[in-house]
Amino acid sequence: MTAKPMQPGVRAEVHAVIFSVLPSLMPSDIDESLHLKDLGADSVDRVEIIMELLHRLGLDEPMSSFSALPSIGALIDLLDQLQARAS
Amino acid sequence: MTEIGIEKLHVYAGLAAIDTAELFHGRGLDLERMDNIQQVRRSIGLGFEDPVTNAVAAARPIVDMLGDRKEAIEVLITSSESGIDYSKSIASYVHKYLGLGHRCRLLEVKQACYAATGALQLAAGYLASGLSPEAKVLVIATDVALVDARASYAEPATGFGAAAMLLGDQPEILRLDGGAFGMHSYEIMDSARPTPEADIADVDRSLFAYLDCLSRSFADYCSRVTSADYTSTFDQLCLHTPFAGLVKAAHRKMMRESGVSDPAAIAADFARRIEPSLVYPRQVGNLCSGSLYLALASLIDNRPDDAPARVGLFSYGSGCSAEFFSGVIDAASHAALRPFTLREQLARRTPLSFDQYTELLHANLAAIVPARDREIELEPYQQFLPRQRGPLLALRRVSGFHRHYEWI
Repeated sequence: MTAKPMQPGVRAEVHAVIFSVLPSLMPSDIDESLHLKDLGADSVDRVEIIMELLHRLGLDEPMSSFSALPSIGALIDLLDQLQARAS
Repeated sequence: MTEIGIEKLHVYAGLAAIDTAELFHGRGLDLERMDNIQQVRRSIGLGFEDPVTNAVAAARPIVDMLGDRKEAIEVLITSSESGIDYSKSIASYVHKYLGLGHRCRLLEVKQACYAATGALQLAAGYLASGLSPEAKVLVIATDVALVDARASYAEPATGFGAAAMLLGDQPEILRLDGGAFGMHSYEIMDSARPTPEADIADVDRSLFAYLDCLSRSFADYCSRVTSADYTSTFDQLCLHTPFAGLVKAAHRKMMRESGVSDPAAIAADFARRIEPSLVYPRQVGNLCSGSLYLALASLIDNRPDDAPARVGLFSYGSGCSAEFFSGVIDAASHAALRPFTLREQLARRTPLSFDQYTELLHANLAAIVPARDREIELEPYQQFLPRQRGPLLALRRVSGFHRHYEWI
């Protein structure tokens, strides 16, 4: 099975938003196998990150769709799917 | 059409409290996270306090003010997620110790932090029906907190106390906008209290559901109220406040969904329309279904003037059920709240050290654990009683599961 190509900018937006909410992070800190909690994001930070991503990507998706994602990589994948569906 | 709404509102927020900074230091929590929680202190109970004593403490000043007119209270509803019996309601004890009349319906309702709002709306419908002219309904949201170190950053934001509301056709506190409401409910396991000793919470699931429900219940409100707009219909806003940081994020989300994305404009709007409602919640912590009404009292006491103002209110209860509704406050609201001196009551709470706090936690965690027989000594708690106080109802004894209270 061939994976669909990732929408341009989704990964970059995720990284940019994480840095804007958690400015003390270094680029090397973002391991996409980790959960946002592992980067030190508290519950409000996680709300901010998801809200900002939906805003920047222009997506109309319930926040609850993001409540059980296991990793940053899974977040990128879901956003990618949502953006592909919307475009 | 008869105006229906909240005639009187009084909040009881305990006798003792710990500063958030003291709790963060004691628990070894990351102080940088205090900014996101935006909590100043939290109330905590003493060993003789429980959901019954909290409810009575909240409602008694209202009932005393009514005098003989208390006979008009023909429905008493307690809302709680701190039930003390599977069958016998908290309301049955509260009815006794408030000295209410026998011609009265007693009920206890439960839907996490939404329950009091559900009770209020059902009672408002009953009152508006005219089936019993001049009837009053007393709704009391009452709870205890079951959090300790296991709750991590939720612990400093969890409160203790009760909010009592007298509903009727002389709504000095809040005149409900008849027919102006929107709901959103579905099953979700975001937080729960499966035993009388433990709160469980999936934080992300709960916060995200709160935010979704705010958007969806407001959309339902708009389907009933033509031309309603989040940015312009409401002079003030009052949201269920698990902690102030969530309310800030929720407001930003709603503003963006209404087409406002300039951060400075959103911040200014937050300061003007919401900030007054957060003053008391920051001092107390989350009061479960009483939280929205603590925020309403805060708004009425802390807004810069007493001009008539339409308030948008949002209630969310895990599990989940949510409602957005509205009403009007004015100078009469402030006048009705002022005799209860809530600001002064909060200031009179005894400040606790971390060690004193952890000692008191044991009794708090046991407050609603069933016990066939139990005696409660008052002596350990005397040191925490404020010097200036009125009569307090205290749980003194449990005998064959029957709870016995005394005024101290």
